Amino acid sequence: MADQQHPDESAEHSGASRRDFLKQSSIMAAFAITPPAAVTAVEKGLHETIATRFEQMPLRVTINGAAQQLNIEPRVTLLDLLREQLNLTGTKKGCDHGQCGACTVHVDGTRVNACLTLAMTTEGCKVTTIEGLADGDQLHPMQEAFIKHDGFQCGYCTPGQIMSAVACIREGHADSPDEIREYMSGNICRCGAYSNIVDAIMDVKQGGQKV
Amino acid sequence: MKNFQYTEASQPAQAVQQIGAGRDTKFVAGGTNLVDLMKYGIEQPDTLIDISRLELAKIEKTATGIRIGALARNSDMAEHPLVTSQFPLLAEALLAGASPQLRNMATLGGNLMQRTRCNYFYDISQPCNKRQGPTAQAGCGALEGYNRIHAILGLESGDLNQSCIATNPSDMNVALAALDAVVNVSGPAGQRAIPIRDFHRLAGKKPQQDTTLAPNELITSIDLTTPQRAGKSHYLKVRDRASYAFALVSVAARLVVESGRIQDVRLALGGVAHKPWRLTSVEQQLIGKPATEASFREAARQLVAGAKGFEHNAFKIELAQSAIVRALQTVAA
Amino acid sequence: METDHTAGKEQIGRSMSRVDGRLKVTGGAKYAAEYELPALVYGVLVTSTIARGRIRSFDTRAAEKLPGVLAIMTYKNAPAVPGYKDTDPAEKRVAGQELRVFFDDQIQFSNQPVALAIADTLEKATYAASLVNVVYDVQKPTTDLSANLTKAYTPERPDDYNRGVADAYKQAAVRIEQEYHTPVHVHNTMEPHAATAVWEGDNAVTVYNKTQGVSLAKKDIQKLFGLSPDNVRVHSPFVGGAFGSSSRIWPPEMAALLGAKLVKRPVKVVAKREQVFNLVGYRPESIQRVALGATAAGKLTGITHHAVGLTSQYEQFTERILHPTKSMYQSPNLNATYRLVGLDLSTPCWARGPGETTGSFALESAMDELAYALNMDPLALRRANFAETDPESKKPWSSNYLRDCYEQGARAFGWEKRDPTPRSMHDGEWLVGMGMSAGIYKSDRAAASARARLGADGSLLIQTAAADVGPGTYTILTQIAAETMGIDASRVRVELGDSAFPQAPPQYGSHTAVSVGSAVHDACQELRRKLAALTDNGKRDATAGQAEQSHETILRQHNLPELVVVTESKGGAELETVARRSFAAHFVAVQVHPTLGMVRVTKIVSAIDAGKVLNPKTARSQVLGAATWSIGMALMEEGVIDDRSGRYVNNNLADYHVPVVADMPAIEVIFIDKNDSVIDPMGAKGLGEISMTGMAAAITNAIYHATGKRIRHLPATPDKLMA
Repeated sequence: MADQQHPDESAEHSGASRRDFLKQSSIMAAFAITPPAAVTAVEKGLHETIATRFEQMPLRVTINGAAQQLNIEPRVTLLDLLREQLNLTGTKKGCDHGQCGACTVHVDGTRVNACLTLAMTTEGCKVTTIEGLADGDQLHPMQEAFIKHDGFQCGYCTPGQIMSAVACIREGHADSPDEIREYMSGNICRCGAYSNIVDAIMDVKQGGQKV
Repeated sequence: MKNFQYTEASQPAQAVQQIGAGRDTKFVAGGTNLVDLMKYGIEQPDTLIDISRLELAKIEKTATGIRIGALARNSDMAEHPLVTSQFPLLAEALLAGASPQLRNMATLGGNLMQRTRCNYFYDISQPCNKRQGPTAQAGCGALEGYNRIHAILGLESGDLNQSCIATNPSDMNVALAALDAVVNVSGPAGQRAIPIRDFHRLAGKKPQQDTTLAPNELITSIDLTTPQRAGKSHYLKVRDRASYAFALVSVAARLVVESGRIQDVRLALGGVAHKPWRLTSVEQQLIGKPATEASFREAARQLVAGAKGFEHNAFKIELAQSAIVRALQTVAA
Repeated sequence: METDHTAGKEQIGRSMSRVDGRLKVTGGAKYAAEYELPALVYGVLVTSTIARGRIRSFDTRAAEKLPGVLAIMTYKNAPAVPGYKDTDPAEKRVAGQELRVFFDDQIQFSNQPVALAIADTLEKATYAASLVNVVYDVQKPTTDLSANLTKAYTPERPDDYNRGVADAYKQAAVRIEQEYHTPVHVHNTMEPHAATAVWEGDNAVTVYNKTQGVSLAKKDIQKLFGLSPDNVRVHSPFVGGAFGSSSRIWPPEMAALLGAKLVKRPVKVVAKREQVFNLVGYRPESIQRVALGATAAGKLTGITHHAVGLTSQYEQFTERILHPTKSMYQSPNLNATYRLVGLDLSTPCWARGPGETTGSFALESAMDELAYALNMDPLALRRANFAETDPESKKPWSSNYLRDCYEQGARAFGWEKRDPTPRSMHDGEWLVGMGMSAGIYKSDRAAASARARLGADGSLLIQTAAADVGPGTYTILTQIAAETMGIDASRVRVELGDSAFPQAPPQYGSHTAVSVGSAVHDACQELRRKLAALTDNGKRDATAGQAEQSHETILRQHNLPELVVVTESKGGAELETVARRSFAAHFVAVQVHPTLGMVRVTKIVSAIDAGKVLNPKTARSQVLGAATWSIGMALMEEGVIDDRSGRYVNNNLADYHVPVVADMPAIEVIFIDKNDSVIDPMGAKGLGEISMTGMAAAITNAIYHATGKRIRHLPATPDKLMA
């Protein structure tokens, strides 16, 4: 699990810049690069928690406006970080291989598949998930439109659809139903709410509201 | 997934130095292919060098055309005015691939290195010469298995069971092949430029190797030469659904027609071989011919000459020809 | 706020937006894998790489040594499951011996669970799973249906059917006889199957699960572990798609239950996408021979239908593949058989429009072929063979507006513009085709219960152990409750998916709205009677009368904090006097590229008789979903198995194609919207499956009309249509 550090905590890596850590770890890497460091450490009789700590790296990322200072294993994907460590389960795991779009989030305003994004690569980025889309109790126009047009059934692909739909308009790819169809094809909906989703996006686009 | 060391490179030279230092070290940028392969256990690097923040994402004019940095994202390339105005074929191919989300992540360099979608390559319990290397003597799972998406061309004679019948899955690569892109790479010995036709390789006796890039080299950019006469171009992709699917076959075509006669033509096929399939001899023969269905049909016949069909993919021999004719008709119209 | 007694009027039939919409668009709806529980650990399945044989040995040392790993569970150290010994055949929904997960060394299908790696993070469990080394004694699997038809047997629960003379088509003036193949379809719900199990000691367990029926899941878990009913609780308030795939206890749930028992901590197990292909059922492949005979005027004189489906070696999964044939058309003579072939695969299960969808593809394709043989309009042929009563049971229909479906659908579609000659219509270089089909699906009603609790503030809470896997059950139950109670819908809250709630049937077979809706209706009626009894000692008819006082006033006057009723509702003998079905007519336009073989569906009109439509908005969405599934079935979906290994070749969403939004045409949905006066008090009939039944054939019939090529082997991919 990620340790969510507060700046005032003087844990092992806090205060140290990521660059310093990278430098440090690359020095260590020279003598302990393989097999994985933690295994090596355990084999050498080090305590498990210390070994685990050794495998983690600091990550600073802003998620839905909140600055996060975390320590994570480099293999953790952004999707699993959100769902399993930060309890932001609105971002969904559908296929875990970039083949369905259920995990779509915005990284620095760009829609991406969180399942194929190593969390470490989001250092210093602003990540927006479905939980960060509404303005307090005021739903985002796209959320309103999905409700109005019944753009979902089971609801599981919905957060990804909505994040993708917002980006689709922001990118300027929502000028016609055909264009929306092409630029929303990275989001699979097995319930088949597709035509309602297109209607919802057209409605927001034509409504001219700020997305 | 095995945990790994994660480092960042701040300069291309440093990246090259780092990758030379460690065993099983890989560059990662967009991650759309590598992270996927790591999840399936196909790639198990000890160290990843994150190169995504290198200053290699520029798309700029050169004396003869344009240069695209290796870290340019597919979506940025597809919408860049220099690309859309001078190389619409590349833009069209890029937009035919993957999804908007993946195109926002995937980079030029990663796309050049994209590995096959062969089902047997992906299932680590199944034999695969590409995944296991020829010394493992594993055999090719696809050869007598389900080979609907597999190659029909570029299969050298000899024992295919020691080789590979996989295809290169990238749409972008097909366009780059048609456009004679040059891949600029940086290695310990300095820079070198690899013509795209020499960059991707046929499987032959080294099925594990998709490209001629050395393991310690870094792709820095590609160069494209602006054609004297642009003509018209089209990327035609035949697939099982309307979007977000790999090609059964695809055609990148560019054609210059004057007074009904073909002045210049570029033609590359995707989904049919271990690399984008292009025969300049076929293009040469088209020059001066009337831009008619008969000429196109003859070129199509020549381009797939010697094609070999397997149990599930023999249809590609005819489909590829139909696609070539259709693509050329589209650009001739 | 005073209750507005008129506001409740006309709630049923209103296009109300989903009451759970806000939760779903904000990411607030919690699915099975999303409960944050103390001390939760992760289980990742290791599944077999072979399809048949036995486990010779395990090497789990490397995995066990990893930091954070709690256990590697195999059949050797898994807790015992008392219910594995239970073999009472009458109790089983599927004949045979259910798969016993982590029971012994036998491998019966590819990707069968052989180990569960349990660790304190998902990453560690995933990596540990990859390090478990299993050595197998491999046997050659048998997975090819076509090659093993000689092994076909009559299932223990046979479905053969005869009326009149067998093979009467042979004497008919005009006849056709053809074979149709449908491949394996994998549900591929967007939410992969997941379960989290939390034991309290050894005798009580709570499971957060992905299930279409918490009551059913609870009963199964209770039996498996020999627990008392009070000690099992299943939560499944939101289900990320099911389509039949969440109708049993599957290996991911068993793994979570056993793993949690072993490590004495809550364990969460989420199936990987490639695992759902083998672990949670699928629509079985079928091979069907259909022969039709008719008079020159197009009156059916004989139908013969021989269907073969596949199943596992350990269970006999049967579905209603012959049912459309039995009841759809008036034919004096009909003989039909249903056989199974056991293969080294996991057991199939119900998939949207189960059986009927597969069977109607063959039947409705054959009807189209007969129409051409007769030189008759396909719609006219179906009209000519309309069944005035159910040909199978001879009972009258509870309601049947199929003729209205034909008429309204054809008009909206513009069927009259169709030139009947194949390959005669064009749009530029594309060939244009128009096709149609009809659909029939049972409309059952099961016993269901609901609790209705009227609070002192006038709010109404409805609780029932039903599910809402997407059709909009939360919403229509809200509407039924609001209308029946005569209150505003905003004052109603519906809670579902908790096995502690009053029993309800699982959400499959298109009978939730009818069954659970009736229970909610009856519970609210009962509440009103109680309220009326309080106000005037029951002299007035509370259901008809307009209450003069608000509900909260009545409660306050009688010093009652709340009023609660629990009602069970089920149909009476009247249900047995009629044949209960929903009906549909589907009209489809396609364009086919003449040389590349690519197909685009350009228009769908689906006219549906599903009785009274409770909510046109959510009902329409169900038909849109069925159209999407039908496009998938007709054009792209196919689970491909390499028969050498018995493994799926395309076990991911890049290679197993389901439609994307770019594949979807304009879809017009027409509801006949006439009450069924028998089945339930709302006048509704089943909707979820009927809209899927037959539609794939309408698409391939349109392809035939466009190209002159008859697709009898789904899916209609470009290689089958290119020239």
